Order: sequence, then C-alpha cells, then structure tokens
Amino acid sequence: MTLTLNIPRLETDRLILRGPEARDFEPIAAFYADESRSWGFGGPLARDDAWRWLATSIGHWALHGYGFFTMELKDTGTACGITGLWNPEGWPEPELGWILFEGFEGKGLAREGAECARHWAYSDLGMTTLTSNIKPGNDRSIALATRMGAQYERTYDNVHLGEDLLYRHPSPEALR
Amino acid sequence: MSIPPHAPTIDTSDLILRGYREDDFEAMASFGASERARFVGGPQDQWSSWRAFLAGIGHWTLRGYGMWMVEHRETGQVAGRVGMIFNDGWHEPELGWHIYDGFEGKGYAYQACLAARSYSARHFGLDAVISYISPENIRSVALADRLDARFECEGELLGKPCHIYRHPREVNP
Repeated sequence: MTLTLNIPRLETDRLILRGPEARDFEPIAAFYADESRSWGFGGPLARDDAWRWLATSIGHWALHGYGFFTMELKDTGTACGITGLWNPEGWPEPELGWILFEGFEGKGLAREGAECARHWAYSDLGMTTLTSNIKPGNDRSIALATRMGAQYERTYDNVHLGEDLLYRHPSPEALR
Repeated sequence: MSIPPHAPTIDTSDLILRGYREDDFEAMASFGASERARFVGGPQDQWSSWRAFLAGIGHWTLRGYGMWMVEHRETGQVAGRVGMIFNDGWHEPELGWHIYDGFEGKGYAYQACLAARSYSARHFGLDAVISYISPENIRSVALADRLDARFECEGELLGKPCHIYRHPREVNP
C-alpha cells in the first residue's frame, strides 16, 4: 500500500500540536544552526541538511503513522518547538522527544507538549511503553524526563548519535 | 489533519511511476549502498538511505512534487526512482533519475524520465527543467542527450562541481 499522511491535531491549554509543514523550515533551520541548542538533537546541521531533516520527519509520519509534531502557541500561532515520537532505522524502540526554539524555554511548554504527545501515544496508538533517549550532559532534558516520571534505565550506543542514555517513562497504567 | 496522497500514479508501457511503499526501502537501501550510487551522493549506509527514503516522501509534502518510485510492471520489482528534486541548496528544480541494478540498458530510464518530465511540465508547472550531472557519469550524460537535454553550463551542487543540462520545453515548445 502506498504510504500516505494522516497527522492528528492535538490541543493543550496553551499549545496546538500539528504535523510538520513547509513554514516550519525557518525556525528549524535556525534551531539546527545553533549548536548550543541542537547538539542533543542530532545537530548542528547546515541549512540544506535541516531541510532534509524536515522532509524526513514528514516521511516518518507516512512510514510509522506517528512522528514529530510542531508545537504552536495557541495565542499567536507561533511555532515554539517540536515534540512527538521518533523511531528511525536502528533505534532501540520508539522514543518521546522534545525541543524548544529559542525564546520559549522556562515556561513549561516542553512538558505540556510532551505529556500531550505521550498521552496520545498511549491512548490513541495503544503503545504500552515509551523511552526518551538523551545525550549525556543534556541536563535540561534529563530534568524534564525526570519531572515526567521517567527513570534512567541504561546507557547504550546509538547507531547515529553514539553514547546515549535511555530513560523509560511510566506505563499507561501508572499514569492513570 | 489529512494531507492527500502524494505521488500520482503514471503508467508507461513497461513501468508504473507511483508513491512510496514500506517494502520499497530494501531496494532503495541496496542501491544506496552500492557503487551505482556514487554519482548521487553515495555509497551510503543504511541510516542515510533510511533518511533519504523518508525525505523522498516529505519532499512531496514540502514542494508538492518529488521523485516517484519506478515499478517494473511485469515483475513488480522496483527499478529505480525518477522525478523532480528541489532540496534546499538546489538552484532550481531538477529532473533526477536513479536506476537500480538489473534495470539499466533496457530503455526504462528513458521511458520513466519522459513520463516524469511531461507530467511535471503539465501538472506542476515545471518545464524546461535542468539536470545536474557529473561529467564522469557517462551513462547519465548519454541519457540526457537521448532526452534532448543540452549542456548549459558548468555549475556546482552543494559545493561539488557538476554540469547543468537543460531539458527541452514540453508545453508550447
């Protein structure tokens, strides 16, 4: 069967989570150009590689039926980050990931978006467990994973990123 | 939100140009890993082929056009990919072709390129398009010639020198 896209639109108090679109390219290119922000997310990437990353993330939805949402502020429509599920070739299992664009951190937006995506994975996709893969030293992400109830499970060698920490989120039952 | 299916299906005498299927990945990854891919950014590992496979799908969403999977009708095997490429860093959309092992020398690339070129001119408004070709890629230069594309100038793609060929106009030439 030919792969097609069917991406839901989710809402939280402050956010819309929607599929990636062409208009997300500039904020994504800016994010990936900044090594201090993107080193834990496969960056830094040159502009043309950031474009391919965006194209890849759309294709991910077609292949798996899940992927990364663009997080948009309800108030202004501004894209403020990315969250969702990522499962590339060679990954140990699907993971929940998140990043914020510059200027949007410290407001609890990543947690709000990521918890929404986690809930969707459990309730709509029927996933029974979820991990987050975090680069050693990415303390902000580790802190958020911990606040979301995830626990360190093991260190493994990621096919693309090298040494990586695997955190496991609470099961759907535990969150009920 | 639902985005319509991407690549439209085009039938030629021997081939079906169509959208991507999960089981196309094997063929694409073996092409990517082979020496045949040396003129199109390869050879590359499984990870890069995975990325290229998904980006090939995403290209249709981002641009409204892209590369088709080319299926050999008689056997159902994937014979390659052809179509319009306009990644960031490209000067303009180009007609590209990747022909997989076992399917060259049969006129399939020519057939697929003609179909993709004609469709893109009529439906995507992409006419008199270019192809980036490495001058060492003798087979591709020969195919460009057969497609009546003409050498236009020396150029550069992502920092690498290449030749730019211009295809003839399809609509109201």
